[in-house]
Amino acid sequence: MIDIILFWLGCLLVVLGGILDVVAAIGINKFNNFFLRLHAATVGTIGGSVYPLVGIALISLSLDTPPTFKFYVAGVSLVSAAVIALISPAGTHILARAAYKSGEVRPEPIVVDKLAEVDKK
Amino acid sequence: MVAPEALDYVLPIALILFSSAMILYAYRVFRGPTVPDVVLALDTLVVDLVVIFMLVTLYYENPYLAIGVIPLASWVFLLDIAVAKYLIKVKGGRK
Repeated sequence: MIDIILFWLGCLLVVLGGILDVVAAIGINKFNNFFLRLHAATVGTIGGSVYPLVGIALISLSLDTPPTFKFYVAGVSLVSAAVIALISPAGTHILARAAYKSGEVRPEPIVVDKLAEVDKK
Repeated sequence: MVAPEALDYVLPIALILFSSAMILYAYRVFRGPTVPDVVLALDTLVVDLVVIFMLVTLYYENPYLAIGVIPLASWVFLLDIAVAKYLIKVKGGRK
């Protein structure tokens, strides 16, 4: 019984992750500013990669394959999901800060820029 | 009992979705006007590649295909740090 629940939950997570990934890919092409594209990239990494990796781990735990294959694939999937969930937001923040500080990307259109006011003081 | 033959339909659908997303990301990589845009699109591209590796591993039931996944996931962070350091050190501070 628990096998069937795990299997269909994993399938649901994989397909949901694929749909979210396509949505993020459309968004990263439609937005017209680097700082807006960061939001689409977050959808693409967390929704489009961490969810399917957890789903793959659940699917492989529910299959009738030898235990060496089963637990190996589940472990690799869960560890890489954790690595992506920890590393990807940190890397995106580092990149956004560098892009702002170096003046490579102009945040336009903009209403108020509090960071520039802080730097001026 | 689990119905493993459902995987024959689910995995190709997922592979089609992820491949089309990777094509759209690659379009942004080649078109991106600035360096941070290119690096951001490359990040999402590599992270998608990790998922495709695991899907292919599950499809062929061959564990050797999953060896390179964790180093690939860690490589994203190194790319971000290297490019951020280049942007701040070489391009200089904000004028």
